[in-house]
Amino acid sequence: MASVKMMKVKKIYDNKVVAVHDFDLDIKDKEFVVFVGPSGCGKSTTLRMIAGLEEISDGTIEIDGQVVNDLQPKDRNIAMVFQNYALYPHMTVYDNIAFSLRLQKIPEDEIYDKVTKAAEILGITEYLMRKPRALSGGQRQRVAIGRAMVRNSKVFLMDEPLSNLDAKLRNQMRAEIILLRKKLDTTFIYVTHDQTEAMTLADRIVIMKDGFIMQVGTPAECFDMPANLFVAEFIGAPKMNIVKTNLIREGNRYFVTPFGVKIEVDGEKGDTLRAKNVPAGEILLGFRPEHVSLSDQGIPVTLEVNEMMGSELHLHVYTEDETRLIVRTPTVNLSRADRENLAYGAKLHLSFEGKVMHFFDPKTEKNLLCD
Amino acid sequence: MRKNTDPQAAMKQHMGLKASTRITNTFVYVLLIVISIVWLIPFVFIVLQSFRIESTHQESYLLPKQWGIDNYIHLWHTNFPRWYLNTFILALGVAVLQTIIVLCMSYTLSRFRFKMRAGLMRFMLILGMFPGMLAMIILYRVLDDLHLTGQYGNVVPGLLLVYVASSGMGYYVSKGFFDTIPKSLDEAARVDGANRAQVLTKIILPLSKPIVIYTTLTAFMGPWADFVFARYVSQMYQDSLNVAVGLQSWLATDTMIFNNYTYFCAGGVVVAIPVTILFICLQRYYVEGVTGGAVKG
Repeated sequence: MASVKMMKVKKIYDNKVVAVHDFDLDIKDKEFVVFVGPSGCGKSTTLRMIAGLEEISDGTIEIDGQVVNDLQPKDRNIAMVFQNYALYPHMTVYDNIAFSLRLQKIPEDEIYDKVTKAAEILGITEYLMRKPRALSGGQRQRVAIGRAMVRNSKVFLMDEPLSNLDAKLRNQMRAEIILLRKKLDTTFIYVTHDQTEAMTLADRIVIMKDGFIMQVGTPAECFDMPANLFVAEFIGAPKMNIVKTNLIREGNRYFVTPFGVKIEVDGEKGDTLRAKNVPAGEILLGFRPEHVSLSDQGIPVTLEVNEMMGSELHLHVYTEDETRLIVRTPTVNLSRADRENLAYGAKLHLSFEGKVMHFFDPKTEKNLLCD
Repeated sequence: MRKNTDPQAAMKQHMGLKASTRITNTFVYVLLIVISIVWLIPFVFIVLQSFRIESTHQESYLLPKQWGIDNYIHLWHTNFPRWYLNTFILALGVAVLQTIIVLCMSYTLSRFRFKMRAGLMRFMLILGMFPGMLAMIILYRVLDDLHLTGQYGNVVPGLLLVYVASSGMGYYVSKGFFDTIPKSLDEAARVDGANRAQVLTKIILPLSKPIVIYTTLTAFMGPWADFVFARYVSQMYQDSLNVAVGLQSWLATDTMIFNNYTYFCAGGVVVAIPVTILFICLQRYYVEGVTGGAVKG
């Protein structure tokens, strides 16, 4: 159990490509932090720098108060689960899990206790004498986790551990990682490109793009108050609808006029705009697909694609000026006739409330309501 | 283009293909059998001659009239055991040292990134294109200055030095094999607490059995079958010869051929025995080693 502190950490490759820029982050003891972002954003590189598998070009990394910049991975007291499991193919599951303990020259009976206990927790006891090639993807991933577990490391690093699993197994393993976290009660740093994993697992999410941190916050903070346009579009599925429009101030009231429809910004959002005295002008307006409802009046749109997701519909629509929008509608509120009417070319009206809106500066792409 | 969907035509086409495949296969197998026979004739011939005891010279017939192991027994009363020991020690030493050097070199070039790495690999590739014979005279002078040639007694240390010295340059096949082992295994082992040497010995080498065996076998075979350099360095001092040079010395003149031919054949068989056993036992790994490094998986 340990804190991890990263100060101005930078990674520049030999070909002068800067993978990570001045990365500052303070991870508290026993915290579960998830690095999330699209491919090439530097999240895995950052994790590998913490592990010591990648040299840092500048800055300082501290684990439990000790600077580890020049320490070998084996001296950092970390455990890591790799994307492709990285199980030793020539060893049995037992030997895979026992490998690190044998290197520490721990007595064999103690190793046996630790390995069998870890196997029991992960439900892989019956596979201990098998080679990794005789295991399924999910079982392999459990072995990889078991190998990391037995080390009693200060920090548990996971590099996209679920990305090689199918969707069903991924959901199951995600739940198991949440339970595992409770059992291990240690510091976790987890890398993923899947925002759902990030939202469900993390105490705090670090959203990255092109080597820069875009936002650090709890899942709720990142979802409710995205710091910028990138975070707004990255967090949430389907992604947030963004339209260019005008913010109008009439006395003490704010309005937006998307697609010629005037909507008042009320509730907390209106209060914040007033408190920050945001000037009127052109803005990027964001609203999530789940916050839009079908109505009799509002923004006229035409239905292009109707995706049946089971409990909800994802409606892909376009407005009169050909702007594409997405609407999430729970099927529970729709009659069979309503559902049948939601076919290609159907003319609909959309509405949404001011309190669910997000406002971004069109130049800086920053959230106008954030500090 | 419209596909021909007529079942009769399709059947005819299928039968035609089947017949042409059968003809091709027959031709290929007949050719392979002929090649195998041609290839086996010298071996069979030497083995048969080694058991012929009615005379020691060449005969115009193949099958011995009198069979026996006298030729083999005779070998023990000559310098042959000494030559055999020389060759065996040399081949074993080269096999061990060359395997260690080649595998370390290959692992380094496969896993580490350092300045001039690519330049070094290119340099060794170009250097390897020059025939080794070019260096023979200067190497002889060096060994002679170091008192490691035949006239100073045992030639084994000198030859060992020469065979092993350039071993690192034979890294290509094993590096290609190591490149196919995921780097994440090294990384996982390093996180697990292994140092680089432990990664190599506990993870990479157990996964590289075919290439270790291939490297060892080829390293063993070099000095085991060497003639030109061994002859030059030994300067024909009897105690310094290896089996190839020693056996050839029995056939230096027509009189010697007349007196020693069947002994030579028996010696040839004894020389072939360890290599044959090694290849039979390890041929599966050997083939995997040769082909494993060729294709990046």
